[in-house]
Amino acid sequence: MTDNFTDLFSAPLTINWTLSFRCNFVCSHCYSRDEVCEELSTADHCRIVDVLAEKKVPFVNFGGGEPLIRSDLYEIARYATKKGLNVSMNSNGWLLDAEAAKSLMESGFRSVGISIDSAEAALHDDFRDQPGSFERAVAALDHLQAAGVKTTMSSVISRINYRHFRELLELARTHGVKQVYLHNFKCSGRGFRNRQELDLSPEEWKAFYLEALKVKNETEDIAISFDDPVIASLPGYEENPLVKGSSCGKLSLHLRPNGDLTPCGFIPLVVGNILTDDFDTLWYDSPILQKMRHKEAKGKCNGCGAFEQCLGGCTARAFATTGDFCEPDPHCWK
Amino acid sequence: MSLLVRNPDIVWRTEQRREQEVIEALERGEEVAERGTVILMFSGMMHQLNLVGGKIWALCDGSRDESAIVDLIAAEFEASREELAGDVNEFIADLLQRGWLRHDG
Repeated sequence: MTDNFTDLFSAPLTINWTLSFRCNFVCSHCYSRDEVCEELSTADHCRIVDVLAEKKVPFVNFGGGEPLIRSDLYEIARYATKKGLNVSMNSNGWLLDAEAAKSLMESGFRSVGISIDSAEAALHDDFRDQPGSFERAVAALDHLQAAGVKTTMSSVISRINYRHFRELLELARTHGVKQVYLHNFKCSGRGFRNRQELDLSPEEWKAFYLEALKVKNETEDIAISFDDPVIASLPGYEENPLVKGSSCGKLSLHLRPNGDLTPCGFIPLVVGNILTDDFDTLWYDSPILQKMRHKEAKGKCNGCGAFEQCLGGCTARAFATTGDFCEPDPHCWK
Repeated sequence: MSLLVRNPDIVWRTEQRREQEVIEALERGEEVAERGTVILMFSGMMHQLNLVGGKIWALCDGSRDESAIVDLIAAEFEASREELAGDVNEFIADLLQRGWLRHDG
């Protein structure tokens, strides 16, 4: 079967769902900490689940804000699971004690990711501006494992950790984590304001990915994921992603706390509202999504041999720094 | 009777608009064997099934054996049972070998 996957999808595969922008942390890189948005009732969230189930969206990932801030998280997850959705979430781990882990298991969570930015407790706590947060994040991994929930670990790569990602993998190994996401830095929200201090230069990104890919290829016990389209321009990069370029708007969409849909959490352009607009019309015909799916090379991408593979890299980063989807990703080293 | 059931770890979806397009193409006499209508996600990989494969897959819900599936596919595609039985058997054998289907009962 050689069909083009992008043309095939009748709905996203994943909805990244922010139930609330509220959070108990104030992290330096957070895209959403300064966002304010009306939040929906539990009943409205269940109506959203109904839409997602009808459209056969297979995966829902709760993010935030901190998902555990919403006391009805378990109820929404239980309802989504009952409707056939595969539910996961990302958390800072602070509120995730043994009882919460048990409730997550009982409400059907397939996996839970815990954000840990450094294997050094003091550095993690400082970055998250929350003393004791490292200890509680690591404890959360253990509580989840004891409750039988599959765990993943998420680390946003920045100046504080890009030379020490091996230690993060070792930490994951010690706590039974089988999948680690080394997320690329996004210049959105506080991440945009603090990018001079936190973001790497394009050459540093290239060096990081070359090293991290080598480690990924040598590592068998932990799956390492990068999810950064700019990586496709590296010589010798042979992975075959489902779609080229950013997956946002092609494989996934983001839901804001009021039901507004955006291409991803880092692009603050509203495509429509899942409760008031027709989902198929938004998915197939939204001018924003259409533009993201059919990018044209601009600037240095024009004539670049890698464009066909990377499609200009991360659309969110290009948009955040230039206001144009089609401008080159500022992380690009070419 | 050996009922056929899908591996519950496989997440799958019929792409309805695509399926409709493929059915219309088939009615126009076009070749559709290489056009996917069902996606399967398993162990971090994605796979596609074509129209007939997707229909067979959807019928493997634990309530039918291979013979019943051949009957239903023959009726839906207005083909003779004899014509289809070998292909359906080969397809199901492949999925059983991959671990995507299993016999139940």
